[in-house]
Amino acid sequence: MSNEILVGVGEFRVAKGAVLKTIGLGSCIGIALYDPVIKVGGLAHVMLPQSNNGTKRSAKYADHAVEMMMEAMERLGSDRKRVIAKMAGGAQIFKHMTMDMLKIGDRNAEAVKLVLKDYGIRLVSEDIGGNQGRTVYFFTNDGRMLVKYSKGGELWI
Amino acid sequence: MRSIEELGEVELDALKELGNIGVGKAATSLSQMLGRTIEMSVPNAMVVRIQELHKVIDAEKMVAGVVTGLDDIENGQAGFLYITFPEESSQKLVEILLGDSSDEEMADSTLMEIGNILSSAFCDATAEMLGVTLIPTPPSFGRDFAIAVIDAIVSQLADKSDYVVVFETKLEESEDEIEILVMLVPNERFVNYIFQLLGMVE
Repeated sequence: MSNEILVGVGEFRVAKGAVLKTIGLGSCIGIALYDPVIKVGGLAHVMLPQSNNGTKRSAKYADHAVEMMMEAMERLGSDRKRVIAKMAGGAQIFKHMTMDMLKIGDRNAEAVKLVLKDYGIRLVSEDIGGNQGRTVYFFTNDGRMLVKYSKGGELWI
Repeated sequence: MRSIEELGEVELDALKELGNIGVGKAATSLSQMLGRTIEMSVPNAMVVRIQELHKVIDAEKMVAGVVTGLDDIENGQAGFLYITFPEESSQKLVEILLGDSSDEEMADSTLMEIGNILSSAFCDATAEMLGVTLIPTPPSFGRDFAIAVIDAIVSQLADKSDYVVVFETKLEESEDEIEILVMLVPNERFVNYIFQLLGMVE
């Protein structure tokens, strides 16, 4: 795809016009924010539900990711009141699992919802859970999100 | 405690040597089990920013992945072993061992058992070299993108550090039918074993 920007694990990117992509979401979550009026969007690849006190700001945490992405979009002229969100990920990849701490997908999804609520950002669509990895494309020219599953199939949200 | 960012070339070399011995033992066990010669590639040890993990792991490659935790009985978790089998290799391995790979549950169990054997052999080596007793946890198993299988683990490590240390080596069977990628992802505790080991040598 032309003008594609890769968002690494625990990172975020904000763009106007480009396609933002993040690959191999397992328990991690891809959160997209979009301002439909000025057509600016952002995508974050979040790994952990919440930052601890005193940790350096990083998009690997759901709360920081939304905050940092929102700030970056505001610098490009976005208005928080117009911004909507979409998200995908939070799967449970392990079929057989012995370490409970690896059940992080659900907690990540819950955390993202809470943060969005705090910011008054409306979550318009989501594709959460399941047992497959996802690669996500976010089209900042029109706000569509394409989810491709590891075992085949895709979904527009 | 020393952190992962403090790992220099000397420490990475020590980690590489440790990994070598560990995976070497694992390769011997596997080759006995399969009755085939297993060779080990020249290993690689590196400190990677988590954001750049997709450059190290073949992110979208479909694999069968086994993860075992390495538990230090005195001090708690010390890291993880991540063993990935590309699809064709996993099928071939199961065929060698079971004669038939059509039963998925059996195939999964077989791969988990191989994970068990590899991680136990690895722990034997660390006990000899470091004098630290590590117990492998029972394996967790999934089939998916190489990066999706491991991301829950990387997330645990990401809470403490922006970097992960990765030791990786490939096990290859002489007839080129089987390829297994073994990655050691140590946490801070394991990194400290390395510093202690080097302290003893000096």
